[in-house]
Amino acid sequence: MTGLPLLRNLLLLAAAALPAPARAQLPNVAVERRLAQELSLRVGDTIRLGTAPDSIRLVATVAAVYEPRPDPAEIARVERHLRMHLPDLAALLGAPDRVDRFGVGLVPGTPVDSAVAALERNAFGFRAYSSSAIAAESSETFLVVSRFHRAIAIITIVASAVFLLCIMLLKVEERRMDAAVMRFVGVRRRTIFGALLLEAALVAAVGCVVGTGLALVAGAATNAYYRNFFDTALTFSLVTPGIVLFSVALSLVLGLLAGAAAAWRLVRTRPLVLWGRG
Amino acid sequence: MRVVAWGLRSLGRQPLRTALSLAGIAVAAAMLLDMVMLSGGIDRSFSDLLLVRGYQLRLTPKGTLPFDTEAAMAGASGIVAALRRDRDVEAAGAVLGTSLYARDADSLVTLFGYGIEPEAQGLYQVTSGRDLSPGDTAGILLGEPAARLLQAGAGDTVTLVGRLDPQVAGAALGSRLVVRGIVRWLYDARDQPSVGTVLPVMQRLSGPTAGDRASLILVKARADDQVPALAERLRARFPAVEVNSAAELVVHFRQRLVYFRQLSYILGSMSLIVTVLLIATLLTIGVNERLGEIATLRAIGVSRGTVVRQVLAEGGVLTVLGAALGILLGLLTARYLDAILTRFPGLPAAFSFFVPRADTLGFAAIVLLVTGFRAGLYPAWLAARAPIAATLRAEAT
Amino acid sequence: MIPPPLLARDLRKDYRMNGETVHALRGVSLRVDAGDYVAIAGPSGSGKSTLLQLLGGIDTPTAGVVELLGTRLDALSDRELTHLRLTRVGFIFQRFHLLPVLTARENVELPMAEAGVARGERRERAEQLLAYVGLAHRGAHRATQLSGGEMQRVAIARALANRPTVLLADEPTGELDAATGREILELFRRLNDDGTTLIVVTHDDRLAAEAGRAIHMLDGTIRD
Repeated sequence: MTGLPLLRNLLLLAAAALPAPARAQLPNVAVERRLAQELSLRVGDTIRLGTAPDSIRLVATVAAVYEPRPDPAEIARVERHLRMHLPDLAALLGAPDRVDRFGVGLVPGTPVDSAVAALERNAFGFRAYSSSAIAAESSETFLVVSRFHRAIAIITIVASAVFLLCIMLLKVEERRMDAAVMRFVGVRRRTIFGALLLEAALVAAVGCVVGTGLALVAGAATNAYYRNFFDTALTFSLVTPGIVLFSVALSLVLGLLAGAAAAWRLVRTRPLVLWGRG
Repeated sequence: MRVVAWGLRSLGRQPLRTALSLAGIAVAAAMLLDMVMLSGGIDRSFSDLLLVRGYQLRLTPKGTLPFDTEAAMAGASGIVAALRRDRDVEAAGAVLGTSLYARDADSLVTLFGYGIEPEAQGLYQVTSGRDLSPGDTAGILLGEPAARLLQAGAGDTVTLVGRLDPQVAGAALGSRLVVRGIVRWLYDARDQPSVGTVLPVMQRLSGPTAGDRASLILVKARADDQVPALAERLRARFPAVEVNSAAELVVHFRQRLVYFRQLSYILGSMSLIVTVLLIATLLTIGVNERLGEIATLRAIGVSRGTVVRQVLAEGGVLTVLGAALGILLGLLTARYLDAILTRFPGLPAAFSFFVPRADTLGFAAIVLLVTGFRAGLYPAWLAARAPIAATLRAEAT
Repeated sequence: MIPPPLLARDLRKDYRMNGETVHALRGVSLRVDAGDYVAIAGPSGSGKSTLLQLLGGIDTPTAGVVELLGTRLDALSDRELTHLRLTRVGFIFQRFHLLPVLTARENVELPMAEAGVARGERRERAEQLLAYVGLAHRGAHRATQLSGGEMQRVAIARALANRPTVLLADEPTGELDAATGREILELFRRLNDDGTTLIVVTHDDRLAAEAGRAIHMLDGTIRD
């Protein structure tokens, strides 16, 4: 099985009212939805195509308007696509029987690497790539973006952790007077420590629930914004159960650690000092 | 005593709390600085890169950007000659970019070839050896990656192969060329193996369809302020080519990387929110803990203004210290993030996403200071409005 | 005719507490002349601290008038009232209320700095005042490094910083042991002998006995 793509930059002059020859003889093209919108093209319109401003000669009929598959690589590009039959494009380019690449489907069970090596050996002038090699190369952009996101996430986690530690410390310190009174009336340090820790855990747990809610809302807002901005159906922010679990676990652990450290400091302080008289 | 010193001592009363707050502000400030650098750095870095050799205009095939496609302009020599006759043009040079190969023992090495006019080029800087002379059809320039790949240096001979097409009988049109010098190609991606010859050699290697064609024409105007008018004039004169000034190319490039600008705005805003929350929370709790003190100050005749200034000074001290730490941290993290992002395939290796400049640092510092000041407003208002008698009564119990 | 330092006419003060109105003062009139040493005594909740706060302009009466050197306090804006407290009134609190981050000398300098006294002058006066209260050697110590009696003496020096017309003290010996309390009483005696007008709220009989004039309060009224 083979596929024969030929990709070229074309210039397009759109004019629905072009005096066209008999439509049945015209090449058909399929136009990307955004291009159709920008040029107000509809199925049945005729357009002229060319490779240079002084040679826009090929008249074609818009046979279809299609929605391209959402592709992250394309979101920020301004190029618009249209598709046409290979012979029509080859004729337009003045390069009959030429293609940019072949797609080759192997018989099941054939090792891909040896097939690639055989093609490289036997067909001088060709370069053969496995699909996985092309995928790896074309996904390099996303790997970079992914690494960047991960780095930003680490910085954000550090900032959040410090923020959390700070808040928990303040939260526990707010209880100075209460802790002093409890100590005055004979409540044991362990009991006070437990109560403060429980409070810290509750605060961290409630914070996690609220934070998860906020993350879902922020994720939905991010997706809505970017989908509208880039006119795409791609998903930009994905709050997965794994991410929620990681965030909740981290927040709880940090919250409890911070709460425990602050509570420990508090119960070790003399009650009179807590009361402000020591 | 001065309010700043007073603020410093107040913060020193709770060293752990202050240290944690400073750490939080520093991380948020670092993030803010990075995002400010990112939002403006893309434009600045690209603009600097485009103008590094002083060529302010680029002419490319209609509807394309430089080296964005394989398209080429026909009649390049005529366009260049016309440009050189223009009174506002100081220099103009055509460039043809194409894939080609070099023989390396029994195999072929894929290279990218630039056909240039050495007398007017804006694509490279010679790092060792010498430049090509105009009309030097026997010489070649190698970029560092190509030199490594071919294990060649100045004075060595390399064989280039072009017109590789199995359907053409003369499958491999070879040229033996002497390496004149090693250069740094300004717009090459990291590790891109590029070589350069004079334009006619590259046109010949590129195949019969490349005669008198160019991918790009670089134009240097005599004065920067003439660039917009010159661009307009060239557009009218050469309707079949695309004329872009550096500023316009920056706009195109910005469009490509708009995601990062957007992200920088979002993350920068989040950093500011975190900073505000941290400072406001810390100061509010500090004020609440010291309401008795504040009521006493008010009772002995200290004005609301002094109380407000004192709370704001505490916020200011926190912000300044946190921002100072944050800027140092931000510069470090920017290098780390830049190292990640500059791995983008196809991006010029000389390009930088994070450009530390005095104006960027200043802007981030001002934003942080204003943020810190604004974060202190609520606790300052709280302190100023504390009812004296009621607070003193509450303190006495 | 020179107006008296302090004059209060039919002062009333109501508070709202847990939805109920508490009548802290139910019509109190008082005249304090220059050089007076007045003790306001009475049990807790009798309204003596409230009276002191109204006299010092840190609270406003529900009804009635306070005049300080002939100026009606209710006619002053908050800014004017603050300035008046700064320059005409000296406050001493039961719990001292020194700023812990400042040294003893800086605490004394604070009201002078607020009043715009030049740095050299206020430093010199702060040292004189600390010497007057017997703490010349403790000027560089933070408030937290001082004993209770020392802190109260610094508070007295602070109250005297801007040469006030009247000194108001709310339970100045309430937080001190007997011996230290006696030292403070002696200091008050000395201040009054040097011409300072003093109004002291106390439930300490010794302090009330020390004063030239003692006023007893009960349920928001003066009983004698």
